[in-house]
Amino acid sequence: MYIPVKALFDELGVDIVIPPKISKKTLEIGLKTCPEMACLPLKVTIGNYVESIKRGADTIVLSGSCGPCRFGYYGVVQKEILRDLGYDVEIVILDPPREGIKEFWERVKKISGNSSLYKGLRAINKAFKVCEETEKLLQLVLKQRCREIHKGDTDRVLSRFEEKIRSVKGAQEILDCIYEIKKKLENIAVDNKKRPIKVGLVGEIYTIIEPYVNLNIEKRLGDMGVEVHREMSVDGWVKFHLAPDIKFRRRQRRILEEAKDYLGLCIGGHAWETVAHTLNYSRQGMDGIIQILPFGCMPEIVAESILPTIAKDENIPIMTLVVDELTGEAGYQTRLEAFVDLLRLERSRKENELGEVLSWN
Amino acid sequence: MNIGIPRALSYFDYYPMWQTFFNYLGFKITISSPTTKDILNKGVSLCVDDACLPVKLFHGHVADLVGKVDAIFLPRLISVSPGEFICPKFIGLPEMINNSIENLPPLLIFNYNLHKDNRDKKNAFMELGRQLGVDKRDVKRAYKEAISRQYINEMMLESGQNPVVLLHPKENWGKLEHSKGVIGIVAHSYIVCDRYISMDIVRKIRHKGYDVRVVANVSQKVIEDNLKAMPKRLFWSYGKKLLGSGMEWLKGNKVDGIIFLSSFGCGIDSFIEELVRRHNARQLRLPYAVFTVDEHSGQAGFDTRLEAFLDMLEWRDKSGYNFSSHGQDVYSS
Repeated sequence: MYIPVKALFDELGVDIVIPPKISKKTLEIGLKTCPEMACLPLKVTIGNYVESIKRGADTIVLSGSCGPCRFGYYGVVQKEILRDLGYDVEIVILDPPREGIKEFWERVKKISGNSSLYKGLRAINKAFKVCEETEKLLQLVLKQRCREIHKGDTDRVLSRFEEKIRSVKGAQEILDCIYEIKKKLENIAVDNKKRPIKVGLVGEIYTIIEPYVNLNIEKRLGDMGVEVHREMSVDGWVKFHLAPDIKFRRRQRRILEEAKDYLGLCIGGHAWETVAHTLNYSRQGMDGIIQILPFGCMPEIVAESILPTIAKDENIPIMTLVVDELTGEAGYQTRLEAFVDLLRLERSRKENELGEVLSWN
Repeated sequence: MNIGIPRALSYFDYYPMWQTFFNYLGFKITISSPTTKDILNKGVSLCVDDACLPVKLFHGHVADLVGKVDAIFLPRLISVSPGEFICPKFIGLPEMINNSIENLPPLLIFNYNLHKDNRDKKNAFMELGRQLGVDKRDVKRAYKEAISRQYINEMMLESGQNPVVLLHPKENWGKLEHSKGVIGIVAHSYIVCDRYISMDIVRKIRHKGYDVRVVANVSQKVIEDNLKAMPKRLFWSYGKKLLGSGMEWLKGNKVDGIIFLSSFGCGIDSFIEELVRRHNARQLRLPYAVFTVDEHSGQAGFDTRLEAFLDMLEWRDKSGYNFSSHGQDVYSS
């Protein structure tokens, strides 16, 4: 998910440090230094910062927002934590421009150095493109993984991609790399007749897109032969909030509007999207839906209490998974397997007119 | 019509306003009974597990009103001041209640959103009046009355009255002629004022001979002034109150010790507590304790910690700084 950002800064000629892949160590740094009650993303990102600082980063850029979700105040709290840890770095928070256009511009200038406006806009445009292509690639992975004939093919290609992308520089090279991998993915031997179980993934954006935090849920489900549908993505966020993509916005608006019987306003975070996508997925004919959230996430808790009503009204199984630093792998896997088994049973019951089938294999 | 008001969350901040409004219009109001173990248990069983204690408690209070009243008043406080929010769970409260409690009477949802403009306050009450089917002119008059009653209450709090004492005036709160010192409690009003979940902390401290300051005693202006030092505008109204008053007390000579009373799972507290603690550790090093309450909190453990904290304050005054509780001993060379 850092790829578009990398493209942007490469184009601007700014040196960047990509934090190492999140590991247990990253999380441990966060756990030691962060408030216990804070949400998981805060802890993980602090770990990212510390690891990047050790590799030579001197400025941290993060986007901001102005509430009501806690994310909007990450920058301030993290600055205090880093200060007490003895790291003297600059944190640049990119708040939405309406909080003061002048300040916004100054902060942008601070990170972009002395690039001209034209160069800046061109870089942004290219970053958008990279963002879109990356998302397309990841969606293709989701599609191929559950249908692959030789287990592990898709993931092998994907890990090669992750290695390679770190070494290339500039938007064009990144795009080339993406296209190359995409071709390889398309050539994977797949079973096209297979009709996999379809599961929609909803919930808090960071937990959904960061594989370490969600214990690689996409891979786990894919390996069970489940097709994962995930609307929530960096690309979607960019298109909805930053890029002038009217068609995409209209579609999202419509999805949100449809959910107004359950939740009719934005309560921060992605709770509204969670509820709306759940409804949308169930009407698209998904077999089941999984909501995933970090422990203590304020907006998602509201969504969590609404989902059972949707499950009842739309007659669709919904499972909520809460992840935190203590989430065990085995229990997680068991819950996923049990859920998928339930969905298989449900489907075979629907298909078999007898209706009284207990075994599904 | 008999309208039920849950005695939880924003009730403790806005009860003068709401009670006056309904009373003026001639409605009978029933406030759910003060928190008991039963109410808490009911709330815990109805609400999703991950919610914070006050929200669970709110569920319990609504459940307590079911069957007793004709309608339940549910405030949806989105924002109480322009550009700010309360907390995501406050905003989604009606949805949470609606989806987790059965056999609910009709809900009077009060949408209070001053995010854009302070003048929307009146519109919120006009909408409530429409839901109740009352004449517009009456609503206007009731609104004025309610606002002024609320204002009086806030003035009383700012002059130093304790909100818990105001709620229970008849009780014995202990004399304060020779108070040994002042303890500042940084906590949301809905925790301090609920005597069950706050373990009656105000009375306990007062009976130990200390005076208590709470967040409501600090005026909004002082809070705003203190928050100017923050690098980024804080956008939670409740968080602002906590951080602003915490920083005011940290300026010195205002209080002798600070207790941060937080509830388990409170998202805002997790950040604010961190900031207050780190500021304290850098500047003044006032005696500082964090108490976290949840549905399992035991009375005895809480009392012991509180007593230990107050004892420490006294010893600190008596024996000066002869011993350090942390780090190197002063006598060792």
